[in-house]
Amino acid sequence: MASATTPEQLAQLMSRVAAGDRAALRQLYDATSAKLFAVCLRILSDREEAEDVLQEVYVTIWRRADRFDGARASVMTWASTIARNRSIDRLRARGPMAYADQVEDLEIADGAVGAEALLVSAGEQQRLHRCLSELDPRTEKVIRTAFFEGVTYEALARRMDTPLGTVKSWVRRGLAKLKGCLAT
Amino acid sequence: MSEAADLTETEAFAAEHALGVLSSDERRQAEARMAAEPAFAAQVEAWRERLTPMSDGLAEIPPPHALWQRIERSLGANDNLGRNDNSASARGVRFWRGASVGSLALAAASLAAAVMLANRPPVVIHPPAGGQLLDASLVSQSGAPVPLFVAAYDPIRKALIVTSLVTPGNDPAHVHELWVIPADGKPRPLGIIAPGKTQEMPMPDKYLPALSAGSALAVSVEPPGGSPKVDAPTGPITAVGKLAKI
Repeated sequence: MASATTPEQLAQLMSRVAAGDRAALRQLYDATSAKLFAVCLRILSDREEAEDVLQEVYVTIWRRADRFDGARASVMTWASTIARNRSIDRLRARGPMAYADQVEDLEIADGAVGAEALLVSAGEQQRLHRCLSELDPRTEKVIRTAFFEGVTYEALARRMDTPLGTVKSWVRRGLAKLKGCLAT
Repeated sequence: MSEAADLTETEAFAAEHALGVLSSDERRQAEARMAAEPAFAAQVEAWRERLTPMSDGLAEIPPPHALWQRIERSLGANDNLGRNDNSASARGVRFWRGASVGSLALAAASLAAAVMLANRPPVVIHPPAGGQLLDASLVSQSGAPVPLFVAAYDPIRKALIVTSLVTPGNDPAHVHELWVIPADGKPRPLGIIAPGKTQEMPMPDKYLPALSAGSALAVSVEPPGGSPKVDAPTGPITAVGKLAKI
């Protein structure tokens, strides 16, 4: 799966996909689909919809492969962005207040990166994790929830029973601190 | 951690788009800005790079086996371009076809097929003499060399002369709407462009300041009648170009 395929191998697969090589797309699918499916499912909380979106994601990857620029982004960032955007578009179609009532507890399991993930992950994930944990716990939680669930400010504000402007300023301040921390 | 400086309004918006907290309208505005402003697009991409490693903490969930077959079938229907044809026009069509990622991507894809059929040289516009003329060639946001629309602004007639190079009749369920995006980044609707036609679009006085060199023109795919919003496209941006002095 993804951890067994290096970023360089993924980039090589992408250039074959761009040349119209279906076998390469299949290899890319085998290496990345479990991760991208998790991304879609986390945002949509609905298997059937997540499967539809995942299908669109790989068709998009196939068509847009020649737009992938390895100098600007890693394959996983690029593909995850497509998966997140597609899932969020689908979620927004349900309305701005989708998931204003949380599906599960706001405490999300994804926050705690497992020891195994830490061992295999690149340094950048550890750094992001460290920088997120340096935020105040409330801000960290709201940023993680926003990222993993793709919900609007409006929905977050409703969930936390906090004015929208307050939630927005927590997030913006948190992102500014995050940027500073990642730059060091 | 030391106190961080606040993000500029523009960067905060870019970061919020990458994080995924914006409403549908705001997301469309962000996409339109990315299409028109490379600096803004770069900020969004930088934030995606910063935030995406969060996904690494997600436990993998394998999709059902049958999904690959579904994907493979849908590739078949779209794989008719001759992927080894690296001529500029084929590349352009592929770029353009991939350019739209919004919720109306299917509509965009069918329009892309229309463009493919339209495979013909761009129509040359002969602007009337006199005055400060502007023109723009609208190509996919990746800068592919095939123009999909060309436009010229005639300050004497106060009109845009716009030519669509898209073959008519291929997607009756959607229309092309033209927008101008001046330096303030706010899109203004200019009207609907009929596929395959050249038309003169009179410009209201309030839009004249926006029609200056450096402003971007963009075309979005919309439901019949145009975008339900007056201040933003609701469909994917399919082509973008900058107005320049002739």
